Amino acid sequence: MEQQVTNNSKKLKQLPQNLSSLKTVSYDVNARDKLHAIWFLGPSLLVLAVFVFYPMLRTLYLSLFLTNNLGKPTVFVGLQNYWSLLTSSSYLASLQATFVYVIAVSILTLIFGLLLAQAASFKVKGSNFFRTVFSGTMGVSVSVAAIFWLFMFNPSIGLLDQIASVLHLPVINWLTQPGWAMTAIVISTVWMNLGFTFLIFFGALQTVPVNLYEAAQIEGVSKSYQFFHITLPMISPTVFFVSIITLIESFKSFGLIDLMTAGGPNNATNLLVYRIYQDAFLNGNYGLASTESVILAIIIAIFTFLQFKILEKRVTYQ
Amino acid sequence: MMKMRQALLKTIGTAAAILTIGGVWATQVRAQATKRTKVVFWNEMTGPAQQKLNEFVKEFNQSQTKYQVVSQFEGNYNEAVQKILNTHGTDASPAVFQSMDISTSQIYHSGYTTPVQKFVDQDHYDIDKISPVARAFYSEKGKLLSMPFNTSQPVLYYNATLLKKYHITPPPTDPSYSDITRVATQLYQRSHQKVKGLSVEIYGWLFEQFMANSGESMANQADGHNGTPTKVNFDTPGAIKAMKWVQENLKSGALMNFGSGSSASANEMAAFLSGKLGIFLQSSADISQLTAGTKDKLGITYYPHPDGQKANGVAIGGASIWISNDKPATVQRGSWEFIKFLMKPENQAQWQAATGYLALNKDSQQEKVLQELYQKVPAAKVPSEQLSKTKPDETNSGVFLQGLIQERTLTQTAMDQIYNGSNIKNSLQQAEDAMNTYIKSNNQANGVK
Repeated sequence: MEQQVTNNSKKLKQLPQNLSSLKTVSYDVNARDKLHAIWFLGPSLLVLAVFVFYPMLRTLYLSLFLTNNLGKPTVFVGLQNYWSLLTSSSYLASLQATFVYVIAVSILTLIFGLLLAQAASFKVKGSNFFRTVFSGTMGVSVSVAAIFWLFMFNPSIGLLDQIASVLHLPVINWLTQPGWAMTAIVISTVWMNLGFTFLIFFGALQTVPVNLYEAAQIEGVSKSYQFFHITLPMISPTVFFVSIITLIESFKSFGLIDLMTAGGPNNATNLLVYRIYQDAFLNGNYGLASTESVILAIIIAIFTFLQFKILEKRVTYQ
Repeated sequence: MMKMRQALLKTIGTAAAILTIGGVWATQVRAQATKRTKVVFWNEMTGPAQQKLNEFVKEFNQSQTKYQVVSQFEGNYNEAVQKILNTHGTDASPAVFQSMDISTSQIYHSGYTTPVQKFVDQDHYDIDKISPVARAFYSEKGKLLSMPFNTSQPVLYYNATLLKKYHITPPPTDPSYSDITRVATQLYQRSHQKVKGLSVEIYGWLFEQFMANSGESMANQADGHNGTPTKVNFDTPGAIKAMKWVQENLKSGALMNFGSGSSASANEMAAFLSGKLGIFLQSSADISQLTAGTKDKLGITYYPHPDGQKANGVAIGGASIWISNDKPATVQRGSWEFIKFLMKPENQAQWQAATGYLALNKDSQQEKVLQELYQKVPAAKVPSEQLSKTKPDETNSGVFLQGLIQERTLTQTAMDQIYNGSNIKNSLQQAEDAMNTYIKSNNQANGVK
């Protein structure tokens, strides 16, 4: 032990020498490495530059202009687009609706995905069948889901309202009342998300070593204690991963909204991405749409950063 | 055995090669023999309208040897506008294209088209045969920009069988708001609230028509027909009356709110076809779907008007056909010949019978196919009558304004608020302010002073 320590200190003393000798050699190596690096990175950099960096910069550029009816930037207005958006009550309402939607969808998707995964991992008769059913929505496309939910929410022949009328409950106009429309969209989105989330969580649950549960059982620990103190910490990397993916995906939600409410009623479901689509591709207002895109990008970046800061502290990697 | 199989394969291979070469040669010879001028036609029709339109294209190509029209489907109206503007001047651009009603000002101001008036004048084409209301929509200061094609008018549909069942007198052909309120309320009450009386979809087009039918302009400069508009007015007396009418029926429970967007019209249609809705306002182009979807007898009236005043008439909806100016003169000529073919009385009559869009040629009404249609569904005649009865003026010839999509989004938001009980004037004023801001920056971006 002592020998090792002295050895190490010797090595440490030698280090500066080594470093300086490395430096002289490394110069040549670096030049060649750089060349190699360029050869290897060049193609992907080129592709990224054309398809990612250029559009990003172009969006930033367009966000400072008014665009004419051919979509060409004509009048430079500086930050006026940003200012008019951030002071517009309808944009702020969209922003608020987006936060409500994103947070509701993310949390509900996590909870229900985890619940289903936990339920399906009990080894009982027929659990295989339910595993297939639970992951079923992965194979459902957005348009099919929209048709299905439109039928469920239909105000005159919809299943939900028919059930309600049989039970003598008040009939809800799901998609035409501002409060309920958001609820309806959240329900459908969570339903859409569940298949994927379930599958990921189910996979993660299988990796938790059985001996931990066995030890817990011997100690006589309750099931819920097991869940919160063994299962959850063990699958925390997965929870973290799913939460980030769900969050980013919900910020970008488009299909269900376009097909089910078209942003209505009274802009209650006019989320940021749908607004961008409307301004760019319906109104041909590319300048304003670019501004909205830049703002959205910033918001997503902030959220992701916060998640890394806050959530990752609670993640235990094995 | 092996050898035989190889020999067989060789023979088949050679035969195939010869056939292919022969085929290629033959088509080349045929192409040389005809040498037609290719005219690419972009359209956005779906369903039965697409079928019928492609039939017209085929018939046109067979009817002459100079031009070959190639029909291409381009997705929905909104997407098509962007594609048309973005491809102009390239090989990919169309020679002749269909574009929706509310894109008229935008397409015109792009400067990418040749007004059809040029060909009308060259040919001394008898343009008076074509519906003046439809022409007025696509004209700028008396000059016809594009040829109106698939054209509809907003009308009021009612389920005549249901009204009879509950012993309700049907509304008159030219009803006022209170006429409709009477029928809707009776239907709702006598059916013990099982049948909703009325639906007015949250749809900017319908809002525009409430104003047109009251004889009010939405935009200044006479709805843009005298120059580029700089302001709009949404909270006019006519608009307020219409919205009051809606709120009144909402309050009594007779009106069903289906919301806005494609799901709204689909739900509305489903409710009507299943007998859970008695009356609704919608495009006349829905007729074929309505007659095919239910055995109940269909009733149709003109668009309702405010009480105590005469109906001023409503504008049209649909789309028109434009000629691009980035193609050589021969191609543009071919486009015009194709347009003339589409507007023939017999073709317009067939078009109406097949799709529900209105025949725009005055001579079409005598065609056998339309006579037969009217005999089978007498109500189908009502939209055509409304169209021919209307005298075009500055308020019912559409709004010649860029950014009408934005106008519809905003008026729909206002309607949403009103349908959920908000103050009518406030909601309309809010939408109006937003639209005026939009127009200001849009005019600035397009260099309009």
